[in-house]
Amino acid sequence: MKYLLPLCIILILPPVASADWKERFEKEFLTRPWAGAQVEKDVCLECHSSEMMKPEARDIPRKWETSWHHQNGISCHNCHGGDPKDVENAMSPQRGYVGIPKNTQVPEFCGKCHRGILKNFLESGHGKALKSSGKGPNCVTCHGSHNVQKATINLINEPLCAKCHSYERVKIMRQALLVTENKMSQIEKGLTELKAQGVYTEEEQKTFFNTQAAFRTLFHTEDVSMVKRRTDEFIHQLNDLQGRNQKTFEELRFRKNFSAFLMLLFTGMGIGFLMFSRSPKKK
Amino acid sequence: MWERIKNWLEIRVGLDELIKTHLTEYRIPKNINILYTLGFVALVAFLIQVVTGFFLMVYYIPYSGTAFRSVQEIMSTVPYGWLFRQIHVVGSSLMLVVVLLHTLAVFSMGSFKKPRELTWVVGTLMFFTTLAFCLSGYLLPWSQLSYWATTIATTLPTALPYAGDLVAGMMKGGEQVSGITLNRFFALHVVLLPLVISILVGLHLFLVRRVGISSPPSGKAAEPERPWTEYRHESHPEGPSFFPDFVLKEMIMVMVFLAVMFFIITFLPTLLLPEEANIPADPFKTPAHIKPEWYFLAPYQMLKIVPNKFLGVTLQLIFLLLFVLWPFLDTREEKDLLKRPYLRLLFFLSLILWIVFTFWGKYS
Amino acid sequence: MKRRRFLGFLLTILGFTALGSFVYPLIKFLSPASGKAAAQKVTLKKSEIPAVGEAKEIPLNGTPAILINRPGKGFVALSRVCSHLGCLVEYDRAQNRLICPCHGAFFDLEGKVISGPPPKALTQFPIKVESESILIG
Repeated sequence: MKYLLPLCIILILPPVASADWKERFEKEFLTRPWAGAQVEKDVCLECHSSEMMKPEARDIPRKWETSWHHQNGISCHNCHGGDPKDVENAMSPQRGYVGIPKNTQVPEFCGKCHRGILKNFLESGHGKALKSSGKGPNCVTCHGSHNVQKATINLINEPLCAKCHSYERVKIMRQALLVTENKMSQIEKGLTELKAQGVYTEEEQKTFFNTQAAFRTLFHTEDVSMVKRRTDEFIHQLNDLQGRNQKTFEELRFRKNFSAFLMLLFTGMGIGFLMFSRSPKKK
Repeated sequence: MWERIKNWLEIRVGLDELIKTHLTEYRIPKNINILYTLGFVALVAFLIQVVTGFFLMVYYIPYSGTAFRSVQEIMSTVPYGWLFRQIHVVGSSLMLVVVLLHTLAVFSMGSFKKPRELTWVVGTLMFFTTLAFCLSGYLLPWSQLSYWATTIATTLPTALPYAGDLVAGMMKGGEQVSGITLNRFFALHVVLLPLVISILVGLHLFLVRRVGISSPPSGKAAEPERPWTEYRHESHPEGPSFFPDFVLKEMIMVMVFLAVMFFIITFLPTLLLPEEANIPADPFKTPAHIKPEWYFLAPYQMLKIVPNKFLGVTLQLIFLLLFVLWPFLDTREEKDLLKRPYLRLLFFLSLILWIVFTFWGKYS
Repeated sequence: MKRRRFLGFLLTILGFTALGSFVYPLIKFLSPASGKAAAQKVTLKKSEIPAVGEAKEIPLNGTPAILINRPGKGFVALSRVCSHLGCLVEYDRAQNRLICPCHGAFFDLEGKVISGPPPKALTQFPIKVESESILIG
């Protein structure tokens, strides 16, 4: 007991003596994301959300922040090029900066990544119209530019399409897609539900994404007959996935029942032991 | 038939005497309460961990490239793999809860006092070993949760000067948590720690038995005055027998423990397995709200708020030292917490502080 | 006294039930996996083997895979499932690489990521090249 105080003093002296471990500790521990501080530097966002920009331009980072691209870590330089860490070269062509694409070049701009869709789009009536006459829809027409959201069938709607032509043919196309699209949202809901219940669904998720992407990429050709022909094949794959999801739900139900049974068994035994210990025994 | 076996053993090891001394005529204090069963429940919890841990090891692959996948296979492909894994996961947190409750019970009833100081010290070492088990086991599934919670925990020692980097480096096996860390944590979890805790458990049980069960301080059964100059086993000739009376009480509590465990497995299966537990470890992507597991939240939060980091760690080390050496610091004979207002205050204050820090750490 | 005996009997039954509820899963847990645990292999006959520079898509174990006859480097069998989100990659003969149509990822002909969002390489499958056939898987 009498050694405790000197021991405490001895333990406290070293920090007074040593200096730079504090900085190292701060660097290693306090500035990490999990200690609360977030360290991210993006020069593009810094300028484009500052007072220097016109109000319309200042809105762009905010729009991007609500987008599906942002949620997946796609930032300004991924599409426009340039260096997001270096203010001197943020918009330098040497660092790949390409600026704002012309109307007719938008498909290639987005197609840097979305290659499959670019190929199908250029084969379509929309694509051909855009390239030949300079007039026609490009990606931004339907999907927006900075506020791109996850694609749904609601992107095909009368107010948008009727801007240029009648909605009749579009309606037929939409009908052809609807059944598949509905099935896909059912499966997506199922997968989310399974994930929430702790199931690891990566393989199913990959198969689902692949089927969904192939289906939606195909849509960009606007070839209704081809879409109809291949719908069967997609529905088959989706039914397969749905079946697998169902089986997993059944398995989860079994697990819950089994462990509930064990819980009741042990509760019963606990009560049994309690009563046994209280019941009088032979003297 | 049964009689013949018993007789065979009686001739060789004196079975009757063993049963009488250690079971039927081993007397325990008259006013013993249910809290005394917690030690046994902790032992049972540990044994459950050993058994389920072994079975998990049959399918688990301790290599960073395949660890995650092997755990997912246990959860989805191996028949009833999910059952053993869930028992192991829920069991580890529940075991720690029981160990904590046992510590609180022993403390509040003054059972650490003379002549039981050694039992207490061994007990605190068992507590630390249990925490080491939890830390090392947490990394093994190699998920985002595992990887980043371990990164935090193995970086905390860097707050110590000089030795800090060495300790952190030895734990991680490098600059960062990696496959090397996985290997050494696996070796710790599966070989060294079980060995250490087995020795400690053996010692702890021997001491409990050899010194004798302490009486609860309230409604005191008169303890004969004894001179502290020689060894004397503390016996309770007036009390009930250990077997079957107390053993029954222990079984009740074990059933309660198991019922709680399966309640969690049935109705809250994702309580200890949030989303990050199902994403393979990615050293380049920190999950948004990663925190250490609940038992480390209090030290973690304390470290975050104390302005001088070294002080933060030293305060905790001092607290741990006080914890281990408490019987040598608190030598007053009075065991009853109700008759010791200052100690009562200290006890509740520490408990409340720990709870506050834990919740603060969770939601900060 | 009768109550005590009944309770004792009941506890014994429950105890054995509990034991059985763990022994049965344990037996299933430790038993060897049934039947189709062995991976299916695919054999390509000489006529099906792609020429130098060409590739052939083959389904393997339910996974779409591709066998490529790399000029100067021999055959390689890779999974076509992109490690990013699961789209099926396509062979670009002109540039000696594999391209994912979903987000523009490029893989080399060993399956390693050249650029793009995928976090890791494509799975490679073992192959055995014989005089008249190739065994994949």
